[in-house]
Amino acid sequence: MDANAIIEDYVNNVAAKLPGRLRNDIGLELRTLLTDQLRSAAEEAGRAADAEMALEVLRQFGRPDEVASRYVTPGFELIEPGYAPTFVKLAAACVAIQWAITLPLVFYSRMTFPDWWLHWGFSAFAWVGALVIWFAVGSWNRRRAAGAQGSGASLLNLVFWLPGGGEWRPGEPQAAERRAARNAAPLGAVLTVFFIAPAWILGHLLPAGTNTSWAVYDAHFQGALLPPLIALMVVRLLLQAAVTVNARWRAPTETIRFGLRLVFVALLFWVVFAWHIFAFAFTDAVFKAWLLIFLLVNSIQMIVWMRRASIQVRVPKHLAPPK
Amino acid sequence: MVRANDESVSKLDTELRRGAVVLAVLSQLRTAQYGYSLRQALAQRGMPIEEGTLYPLLRRLEEQGLLASDWRISDGPPRRYYTLNPNGTKIFADLTANWHALVETMNRLLD
Repeated sequence: MDANAIIEDYVNNVAAKLPGRLRNDIGLELRTLLTDQLRSAAEEAGRAADAEMALEVLRQFGRPDEVASRYVTPGFELIEPGYAPTFVKLAAACVAIQWAITLPLVFYSRMTFPDWWLHWGFSAFAWVGALVIWFAVGSWNRRRAAGAQGSGASLLNLVFWLPGGGEWRPGEPQAAERRAARNAAPLGAVLTVFFIAPAWILGHLLPAGTNTSWAVYDAHFQGALLPPLIALMVVRLLLQAAVTVNARWRAPTETIRFGLRLVFVALLFWVVFAWHIFAFAFTDAVFKAWLLIFLLVNSIQMIVWMRRASIQVRVPKHLAPPK
Repeated sequence: MVRANDESVSKLDTELRRGAVVLAVLSQLRTAQYGYSLRQALAQRGMPIEEGTLYPLLRRLEEQGLLASDWRISDGPPRRYYTLNPNGTKIFADLTANWHALVETMNRLLD
């Protein structure tokens, strides 16, 4: 291959990695620049340009993919560098937990290893995709909020459990979470009312004659567990309302809020695994699946809350002032 | 240890120069230049910049609205010439003033 052919091949490689609208223009310019560069190298060496010389020029210029990426205006980051370690830890933990929970099926049931791999092993990687979406939404939310006033707290932050963007204020990010919870309180109130008697409410909202038997509670659940659960939801809403009226959170109310949430989540976990909620089996299964996702998100939030509460920068003993 | 120190100095020196590259490039584009001639002009004045960094930078500065460019045919193949546009001229003047202020501050700090 002669020197010009090598440069042509390199330019084509760079062009192939560029967006279509830039491809020809940059390719044309790059070819001229590299030819100039090669001519200069030949003049310095005092001999005609050859393949070795061309390769050296191109080596100094960089790999085609690196060069192409330098020409393109940087896009946005799906996962910001600051969040990358958390992403890797979470992704590894999700895959490991699914494997750890399901792998025993190979040893304690009739499931073979290939069956396990097809059903549970490989599907664990779906967590990685879900986390990419989660972090990407967070990244977008922070970019969106960066120019806006306030902390960017929104229902989106609450649903996706995202740290808000925007200006930091004292008490963040807990304060942002509390604002998001306050914004979501009306929805909580509507859901609380709805869950008192879903079949009865749907019967009044939907056209007459519509079958709502699928939304009827299991009689045992309705008699024993529904009243305390609704009571807990009401207490949580009242606490939220009281704090909103007073416009400030104190340490005791924060602890009460956390305690109520802990009891609520623990109770619901017990309900999911030990009780029938709806009389209709399909409604029961679908509702429990959604409830489980809600509980998992809440559990993660509480773990993060506890971890955050335990983090405090302390002066090491050897730097402490003498008593 | 000496080698590690040399590498650190080299990295820090690169960081130091990185901030000045844009201003250096703008300074030479008060008259129209094409990529290779610009690189030569900078190198001759003691500011060598890797071609793989310089050429994409020209494109980005044009995209940011600081440069104007056009294709010209003189001796040899067609070449893309870049020059400061009115906005680039104004920004260059602002950056030059900031640079002089920075140099003054740094001189005071380093004395």
